[in-house]
Amino acid sequence: MRFTLLDKILQLEPGVKLVGLKNLSMAEEYLADHFPGFPVMPGVMMLEAMTQAAAWLIRATDDFAHSSVLLKEARHVKYASFVEPGQALTVNVTMVEHGPRLSQLKAQGTVDGSIAVAARLVIERSNLADTNPSRAIADDVVKAKMRELFALLYSPVSGAAASA
Amino acid sequence: MRWIWIDKFIEFDSGRRARAIKNITLAEDHLHDHFPGYPVMPNSLIVEGLAQTGGLLVGEVNQFQEKVILAKIPRVEFFFPAVPGDQLTYTATIEHLDENGGRVTATSHVGDRLQAEAEIVFVHLRDGERNKRLFEPKNFVFTMKLLGVFDVGRSRDGGRIAEPPGLAQIKAASNESGLLG
Amino acid sequence: MPTKAEIYDKIRTALVDALGVDEDEVKPEATLIGDLGAESIDFLDIVFRLEKAFDIKVPRAELFPEDILTSAQYVKDGKVTPEGIVKLRERMPFADLSKFEKNPSVKEFPNQLTVQDMCRYVESKVTVTG
Repeated sequence: MRFTLLDKILQLEPGVKLVGLKNLSMAEEYLADHFPGFPVMPGVMMLEAMTQAAAWLIRATDDFAHSSVLLKEARHVKYASFVEPGQALTVNVTMVEHGPRLSQLKAQGTVDGSIAVAARLVIERSNLADTNPSRAIADDVVKAKMRELFALLYSPVSGAAASA
Repeated sequence: MRWIWIDKFIEFDSGRRARAIKNITLAEDHLHDHFPGYPVMPNSLIVEGLAQTGGLLVGEVNQFQEKVILAKIPRVEFFFPAVPGDQLTYTATIEHLDENGGRVTATSHVGDRLQAEAEIVFVHLRDGERNKRLFEPKNFVFTMKLLGVFDVGRSRDGGRIAEPPGLAQIKAASNESGLLG
Repeated sequence: MPTKAEIYDKIRTALVDALGVDEDEVKPEATLIGDLGAESIDFLDIVFRLEKAFDIKVPRAELFPEDILTSAQYVKDGKVTPEGIVKLRERMPFADLSKFEKNPSVKEFPNQLTVQDMCRYVESKVTVTG
């Protein structure tokens, strides 16, 4: 199973908010188990899509200063409706607080405008070299790969092209 | 791939508490995306492991006649990342259960170290249009057998958990249709 | 056997844990849905916490009288009839329905449940001392 849970970043305001999208497709094999005869996006994958949206916002805000951007805490994760193959989950995250190590965000996932999931997230960021200097190379590898993936997900139209 | 985020039950005290383990291995594809150069078990999949441990514990109380769905995670906190080579031990305890659903507290440990703790609320999906098609007890039961529940499980009166009646029939039917595998 | 103050404290804790609101947002007149942002799944979470905290059973129909609110006998044009109001009062003696009576719209019913209503409900279920 691949683990990129956002397919596109639609809007980005560093330090403020990010809007992204996750398409759900029958091609995703785990759906055969969840559930047999009734494929729907697992709740934790909805949580992961929101977590990844938050992580992208943080990476973009700090210009990829950290290799490790992980979910530290989730609160009040509530599921309102299912996401089915053929539908898209639009994820909206807003930065509430951006500390030196921890960030707090509000997150929401909608399908066709209706709320499917909501949560409060705390994301923790660090570098492997913080605790083990010999891992600085691994940090560089991760950051480079994340930049590459980000370029794939987010290609904003420049001002000139938009007005053409 | 299967959507099974626990490998085996090591304790199953019906209606009360269950413990399951999850091995983290580089053989898992998703670790190579999360992240390239630093494989770490996604915390959301740890939540799923906790939810599956708790969900099977809750479901077994009514012999899986009720469909158990993850409805709310009031809170989950992670204390350190879990990595390939680690074995996670998930412990789920039923705090409350009734005909509407249940609330479970759960922890994840690597050895003695507390890696995560969570509260999870499940609902029993009411019978309705889709629920009849929603996963049938036999799918749950399979997974239970695969995970050795019936080997370690203890029912509320202390006896060994009996295989749900008809398991033999279900297995026979699935053998025919090639589902077992 | 809890005092009224202890009941209020436990209810406040349950609401803070389930809804993520601050303690000082939980006032007696605050409505669960309007003021505290509770959604339907939160009600289940709240009920589980109350059942555990007070060792009581909270039958769904006592807090959420769906049968009355969806009955053709007690609801006309989306509003609860006077007969229906009587039934509601019987079912929910702990609730202050005076505001609801002025505009008994079925859709609005869930919105008027307050923290105070929950306190009175729990008080009716346990033996209160002081």
